[in-house]
Amino acid sequence: METTLAQHIVTDLPQVTWIGVLIKAILILAIISALAGFGTFIERKVLAFMQRRLGPMHVGPYGLLQIAADGIKLFTKEDIIPQNANKLIFMIAPVITAATAFIALAAVPVFPDFTIPSWIPLLGDTFVPSIASDLNIGILFVLGMMAAGLYGPLLAGMSQANKWGIIGAARTAIQFLSYEVVTGLSILAPIMLVGSLSFVDFNAYQAEGIGSWMIWQQPVAFVLFLIAGFAETNRTPFDLLEHEAEVVSGYATEYSGMRWGMFFIGEYANMITISVIAAIVFLGGYDAASSIGWLTIMLKIAFFFFLMLWVRAAWPHVRPDQLMWLCWKVLMPLAVVNILITALVMMA
Amino acid sequence: MSEVQTVDTMITIKIDGIEYKAKEGEYILNAARANDIFIPAICYLTRCSPTLACRICLVEADGKQVYACNAKVKEGMEVTIDTPTILEERRAIMEVYDVNHPLQCGVCDKSGECELQNYTLELGIDSQSYMIPDTKRETTNWSSVLHYDPGLCIVCERCTTVCKDMIGDSAITTVKRGGAELDKGYKESMPKDAYAMWNKLQKSVIAPSNGTGETNCSDCGECIAVCPVGALASRDFVYTSNAWDLKRIPAVAAHSSDGAQIYYEVKPTSITDRTEKIYRITNEWNYVSLDGSARFAYDFQNTTATKDKAAFDAAIEAFKKAETVRFNAMITNEEAMMLQTLKEKMGFKLYNPEVKAFQTFLNHYKAASGNSLWTTDTDAIMKKSDFVISIGAALRNDSPAMKYAFNNVQKMNKGAGLYFHPVGDTLIPTFGKTVEVFTHKVGHEELALYLVLDLFADKEKLPSNVKEYIESFKKSETKTITEKVEKTIKEMVLNEETGEEEEVSKKVKEEVEKEITVSTNGLVDLLGGDSATFEDTFAKMMKKKENFSMMLGEDLYYHEKAENIAKLVALVEATCDIDVVMTPPKSNALGVALICELDDAQSGYTIGYNENGDFRLSALGDGDLDMPAMNQQEGTLCNIGKRVLPTNAAVEYEGYELNDLMKVLVGAPELTIDWTQTLPTNRGFKSIAFDDLPNSFDNDGTDNRGYRLEISNVETELPEISKCDEDAVLEGDIAYRCNPARQFNDFTDKSHEIFEAFALYASTEKAASLGEKVEVVFDNGSITLDVIADEKMTGDIVKVPDFKAAQGVYDLFGTSRYKTVTLRKV
Amino acid sequence: MSLEQFKNRNIGTQNYVALDVGKPPKSGLCQFKQVVKRTFKGELFVGLWVTMKAMLKALFGGDMHTIQYPFEKLPISPRYRAIHDMLRLLESGNYRCIGCGLCEKICISNCISMDTRYDENQRKEVSEYTINFGRCIFCGYCAEVCPELAIVHGPRYENASEQRAGYSLFEDMLTPIDKLNLQQEYDGFGAVSPNADENIKKTPLAY
Repeated sequence: METTLAQHIVTDLPQVTWIGVLIKAILILAIISALAGFGTFIERKVLAFMQRRLGPMHVGPYGLLQIAADGIKLFTKEDIIPQNANKLIFMIAPVITAATAFIALAAVPVFPDFTIPSWIPLLGDTFVPSIASDLNIGILFVLGMMAAGLYGPLLAGMSQANKWGIIGAARTAIQFLSYEVVTGLSILAPIMLVGSLSFVDFNAYQAEGIGSWMIWQQPVAFVLFLIAGFAETNRTPFDLLEHEAEVVSGYATEYSGMRWGMFFIGEYANMITISVIAAIVFLGGYDAASSIGWLTIMLKIAFFFFLMLWVRAAWPHVRPDQLMWLCWKVLMPLAVVNILITALVMMA
Repeated sequence: MSEVQTVDTMITIKIDGIEYKAKEGEYILNAARANDIFIPAICYLTRCSPTLACRICLVEADGKQVYACNAKVKEGMEVTIDTPTILEERRAIMEVYDVNHPLQCGVCDKSGECELQNYTLELGIDSQSYMIPDTKRETTNWSSVLHYDPGLCIVCERCTTVCKDMIGDSAITTVKRGGAELDKGYKESMPKDAYAMWNKLQKSVIAPSNGTGETNCSDCGECIAVCPVGALASRDFVYTSNAWDLKRIPAVAAHSSDGAQIYYEVKPTSITDRTEKIYRITNEWNYVSLDGSARFAYDFQNTTATKDKAAFDAAIEAFKKAETVRFNAMITNEEAMMLQTLKEKMGFKLYNPEVKAFQTFLNHYKAASGNSLWTTDTDAIMKKSDFVISIGAALRNDSPAMKYAFNNVQKMNKGAGLYFHPVGDTLIPTFGKTVEVFTHKVGHEELALYLVLDLFADKEKLPSNVKEYIESFKKSETKTITEKVEKTIKEMVLNEETGEEEEVSKKVKEEVEKEITVSTNGLVDLLGGDSATFEDTFAKMMKKKENFSMMLGEDLYYHEKAENIAKLVALVEATCDIDVVMTPPKSNALGVALICELDDAQSGYTIGYNENGDFRLSALGDGDLDMPAMNQQEGTLCNIGKRVLPTNAAVEYEGYELNDLMKVLVGAPELTIDWTQTLPTNRGFKSIAFDDLPNSFDNDGTDNRGYRLEISNVETELPEISKCDEDAVLEGDIAYRCNPARQFNDFTDKSHEIFEAFALYASTEKAASLGEKVEVVFDNGSITLDVIADEKMTGDIVKVPDFKAAQGVYDLFGTSRYKTVTLRKV
Repeated sequence: MSLEQFKNRNIGTQNYVALDVGKPPKSGLCQFKQVVKRTFKGELFVGLWVTMKAMLKALFGGDMHTIQYPFEKLPISPRYRAIHDMLRLLESGNYRCIGCGLCEKICISNCISMDTRYDENQRKEVSEYTINFGRCIFCGYCAEVCPELAIVHGPRYENASEQRAGYSLFEDMLTPIDKLNLQQEYDGFGAVSPNADENIKKTPLAY
């Protein structure tokens, strides 16, 4: 039934052309990059407010142009490659992070679809879909892509011939791999309920208002996913990869300029991705029918993004051993139990 | 001789229960100071008479209260410095000194080295019990250098004392000032010494003694040095620096041959110019007194010097083709040694008109007496001597050290003095009541020495021809003298022969028979004295005199018969109990005389070092190659006390030194002062490195600066002496090569606090007859000079200064100091 | 806590309260229980609430602590020792500085220098005066030693300079003559103590 509903929506839509997909891809790249930058600004502001400070104030009104200033700074900074680094890997590692983060976004419906007005030359009447590529294995693809993203920090840390980098890389491996399990298992229960891996189907499944949101059916899965999402995106309280107090800057120790900036953008893109997944899978996604559907999902994404900052302001780090203990001894068993219970309920 | 003489009879006294050694006949205060014990005293100066103005040195000696500056030590004396009554007295005195003393320490120049501040703190004066209305006292300037603020003056009379007892000018004195009368109640209520002191303080103030507002003195500035408060200051120094900001650089006064100890006191010039500048000169005034050139001629440094390579190369070339190097006495021993080395290696002549005559005279003296140098020095004279004779020195101008010694002997040792000089001087007779001045004819210096022989010599030791010659003067005039006079003469002569014992007169009366015919002395008349009264006067002068000394001046070195004079001096030493001191003409003449082999004249291509020449090395900043001035270089200087004294650089110098030329020409050690060790030991120098030379005084005033030149002593026969040609005197207008006091050379002239002009100096009457300007015509040239009247000169001889080397005055005078000239009004 | 208590290092004699942190969990089950307990006790949310409250108060309650420094400045204590001021006499407008040189002498970093001269009125005049602020350590000795309260520490603490040795001349520090009425009497370092009168011994005066 769910499948048909999804097919119905897709078939109702105009033809998806390659131009539309290209435009969408460019839009995602442009907007998410900008949002990642804006995210740094928001993070600094929110953290500042929570510490009763003002945050950046001097570049532009309320410091809004701080992003531009930071961008200019990152672009113009000298690109330093350590003498003993594996130069090729060192250079492509940040690209992997940024690329995987954006590729993952390809299967995520970010904005509602629209048609370019016909008075615009060349591109007029082009239909731009909400999803760049509505894969039928959307969630799996996104999670897989994000998992592939671990190669960025891993390679970066190992290539730079720096002991802090190595530690960062090792932490990347254990943290990302471990929490991949929790992410997968926690989201498995909603997938079982929906019966599809497509985000569109998830959206359709929860289309009947707040009461139909997955969070009410799967609160444990939601919490587990959220926790694992924090770990996947390397956010406090699980930001052990580049824990300043312990490993200088972890895998990013030797990076400077825009290469370092690409890690940053990748990280923020991942935060957005996780926020989007959480919003679609658990909080009802966007209301395809309503004209303000795009606004609701934006608010939901924004909430999750804000939550990440909020948590950073409030909570301390965990230790690496606590992180592993939490993953394998608490979260993973809980997730398995949750799946079992869900399965039992569905069979019943 | 003087070294041997310093053995004194030592006695033992007890100060505060501890035993100390003291010289017999010394004041308690000096004995304490020599033993490093502090007795408070404000008004006392070590080498001057006690004034008893401050009364703060009150101590208890053998149970009686005495003033430590005025009471002499006795064997076994027990001195207590502090007793309750004495402390009460001292506190009252200090409180009185603080009454109405302006609270302007903040701006006072003396603040930080002020004895009033020090004693107020030392005695813990934290409250005031006495009061009196103050009177307004205006600051005045006494001369071009002296600044007096009577408001700050505590009338300790140190300035007047030093001016009278040491300097001899007696230019200032205490006068009434009309302060408020003391409240009679104080007489009962306060300690009596404090009351007496206050009574005097309240009535007195210091003022020029000639009754005008101007001091008309030699502007030596010694009164400034001794002033314990900020009342007396140099006009140039007032309010320019605090004492503590100044860095003291020990040095030797460069201009006169005194070689006086001085400190250059330096500080950065201003906020924008951080190069160090000399702000003033200070001295250890208890042990050494400066003359005006030493105190005020300090800013003569060569400021424009740079390392001018082209000029340096030109100098090297000049030395290679030079036939003569002409220099003067303003040079260190090290530089003189360098020039001598150059002479030996390069074979040019060394010509030094200032020193040549002196060197020759010294050689004659050495040949005649066997002594390489004279036997005493001015310090020893001040300590011991009670009869001084000065021959051939313009005391007021040539040698401040000799002037101070001559005067100090009169004042402190109850001494007497004979002054022989062709130029009349009104100041010398004021030194003491028993000073006899002979204004003799130019050329009669030998006669003065013959008179000395006549008066003091052991006749039996005298060679017969000399004895005959002396006696030849005592012929005809004898008849005119009355019997009574003759008798006294008899007594006199007796005294001489028996070693100055007065009581023995009877014993020698028998010998009188012989002497009667020899009675009246024609020498005295020839020398411008009055033989009729001289015998009487001389008898008075000789009373209680034990220690005789003679000072010889520059006139003798330039005398035509200098060799004969040197022999006469040797004879005086051999036959009389008289110590001799000679003044080296200017600066380091002695060092140059000992180190350099000087030639008689210059010829060919000449390099002038601070002198005229074809190529000029000059520390004055106007030569072809710059040289460091005396306050810009390290080195040693020899002085009248026969000491080799280290002096130091006070201001920076950026140009080449003579040693740099030496390095290129013949090779030289790294530094100029590396030459110090190489000074010729056969001339009395010692092989001591410059940095090992001491530079201090002991507490009892013993001079430990540098070292004393070794004096060689060879037994010699009495010299053959020729008679004086009594008719060989100069007639007509006579010019005397003599500088005004404080002027010695181009460097003193360059200094901004020295004002004496390069002009013709004459007595008031002579100046009036000469008009404003004259041309002085010599045999070999002429010079045109302004005429300045010197109130203290008498007679017709005029003084022509030589301190400007460029004027060539030495060349005009040639080998003599007196010349017959034609004075033409211009 | 008073200062005495604070300085008392004798642990055990004071009213310290030992924080009850419980015993560390021994078995895995205990650890699990601790996690569950802490998770559901809501302690984490307390932390979140604290920060949220702080943010709301900062944004809307006017409780923002940031001072936007170059535009806003905190008031400073009168005892603060910043760039020096040279004061004038209020009545005549003359310099208070008499050029005694005590500040120059006492300055432990040797950064004060002055030129003085004998002026036309027979007084000591300070012709130039500088403090090298590149070397000054703002110890305040100059203000303390000044007998005339002429040199004092002012409130100007911004002493960054484009040049290594920033000099300041007399005029820079002197109260401008047109602002004489605004000159504040200094009550900081070196000012007369409130009980100064008690420490003075009076001198008898005859008039």
